[in-house]
Amino acid sequence: MPVAITLRSVTKSYSRGGETLRVLDELDLDMDAATFYALMGPSGSGKTTLLNLVGGLDQADSGVVQVGDIDLAELDGGELAQWRAEHVGFVFQGFNLLPVLSARENVELPLLLAPLSKRQRREQAERALELVGLQDRMDHKPRELSGGQEQRVAIARAIATDPQVILADEPTGDLDRNTADAVLELLQRLNRELHKTILMVTHDPQAAGYADKVIHLDKGKLGRIDDNRASSAAGGR
Amino acid sequence: MPWKLLLRNVLGHPVRSLLTVGAVTVAVFLICMLQAVTSGLSRTLDASAANRLLVQSAVSLFVDLPLAYQQKLAAVPGVEATCKWQWFGGRYEQDKGGFFAQFGIDPQTFAPSYPEMTVVAGDYAQFAATRTSCIVGEQLADKYGWKLGQTVPLGGTIFTRTDGRPWEFTIAAIYHSNSPAFDEQSLFFHFDYLHESLEQGGARGPQGVGVYMLRLAPGTDPLDVQRSVDAMFENGPQRVQTTTEAEFNRQFISMLGDVPALLRLIGGAVLFAIFFAVLNTMLLAGRERTRDLGILKALGFANGVAAWLLIGESLLLCLTGAALALGLAGALEQPFAAATATFIPGFGFDRNTLLLGGGIALVTGVVSGLLPGLRAARLGVTEALQELG
Repeated sequence: MPVAITLRSVTKSYSRGGETLRVLDELDLDMDAATFYALMGPSGSGKTTLLNLVGGLDQADSGVVQVGDIDLAELDGGELAQWRAEHVGFVFQGFNLLPVLSARENVELPLLLAPLSKRQRREQAERALELVGLQDRMDHKPRELSGGQEQRVAIARAIATDPQVILADEPTGDLDRNTADAVLELLQRLNRELHKTILMVTHDPQAAGYADKVIHLDKGKLGRIDDNRASSAAGGR
Repeated sequence: MPWKLLLRNVLGHPVRSLLTVGAVTVAVFLICMLQAVTSGLSRTLDASAANRLLVQSAVSLFVDLPLAYQQKLAAVPGVEATCKWQWFGGRYEQDKGGFFAQFGIDPQTFAPSYPEMTVVAGDYAQFAATRTSCIVGEQLADKYGWKLGQTVPLGGTIFTRTDGRPWEFTIAAIYHSNSPAFDEQSLFFHFDYLHESLEQGGARGPQGVGVYMLRLAPGTDPLDVQRSVDAMFENGPQRVQTTTEAEFNRQFISMLGDVPALLRLIGGAVLFAIFFAVLNTMLLAGRERTRDLGILKALGFANGVAAWLLIGESLLLCLTGAALALGLAGALEQPFAAATATFIPGFGFDRNTLLLGGGIALVTGVVSGLLPGLRAARLGVTEALQELG
């Protein structure tokens, strides 16, 4: 079931070199379920921090981060890890595949945390790889794959557990244009066909064009939200 | 627990893993060897008979006692029988680099005093009746392929024949021992044959007896006999020292120094060396896996899984090394036991020694994996992912 994401008065600071840097400042944000969001802003505007908070990789200093009906501040470390395993899929800029495992084994990793038999895990991983078009590369190690293929494996891994939310941090940052477009189309398809809520950090306006909505952050605060669907409709696309 | 990942991590660095496993194998094998020697010595001492005393010169084991002492010793209350033991120190003509012990003994009292010795071939009565014959241990006979009736030529080093020829002893019997305190790698011959040769000028060498064995009558207090014997010869002509067989063996071993303490020291040093080697490998592995650990945690794996991946890897390396070492110990037990039988008849990798080897590997594995494991458990997800560069 698609989930919405809500942030209320979220503040997050980091200490660096004796100075406290407020990365997110009383941020309020509502994200609709089953919507593809791009998160843009200059460096240091808090994009990755926001992604980490929504993904439960980090916790806010104050405020509420709610994904679906779960307030993440109420979960301890172990519960947060379990929640991530069940509800969130991550796609990173550097692909972050484990080099010693094959594509299939990488995709199977998060499934180890699910109550599945070995056979079920294998079938589910293969389905995810087929979905991203890598059915003929399942037994290849990451070093035997191109950058685009590696990112598609990472996406397969992110969707293998059928999470409601997919968080992508610069997923096309290391890819050429054509490959990047293929990966973005794949994310768009996951949103449209499987109704995943996707939050993607990007610097690339072209990549942001694939999203339904673009959230602009500036110095830890919400700048504006552009609705690509509305502008497409207005432009007669 | 992603076991496959653990295994792949180990196999992912084959040279490093092989070297670490090799180091553990050598270390565990060495520790098992040292322990086998220590417990072998201990078994030898433990198996020493309580009803036998040994009388030697109070000056040194290398100083002979007068022949006349035997009659006086036999008259001491509580002494049932006496037997001479004279170290011969001959060199086997067919294997001059080899070594085995030879003793001149009294055949009449020797066998009844050592019930742990069983004749498995030949006839002890024939040995007792034939002055130039000998009885040899089963292992010694097997080692040189000796058969009954065969002559064993021994070149004298302490006792030399005046005609320049080697001594010749005919094998009349072969014995088996069921006690680790009594080895199967010795040759025993008639003391009288040696003595008469010396008396008649057929041979040169010191005249006297190295050690007298006293067999005690049942119910005799060894301490009483010890005191009586020592007191009897207090004023000479040759002062004696009387000890139990266990004490005699202990003193014999201690001529090399405090062997068990030395072996324990070496074992401890080996243990430390291997611990640091495995710890170094695991710290390196832990640093290298920061990225992978961050990914696993982001995917939802708990901190404990991250820790166990490294502890498990350490355990896998150490236990593989231990398994190889114990296999090696099993394969080499017989050759080692044969090589050390003269000095350590009780040598052997017993269950406790093997458990010690396995236990050391287990503890080394856990402790070496613990430090990088704890670091992995404490590693923050964002911190780990930031190290991606």
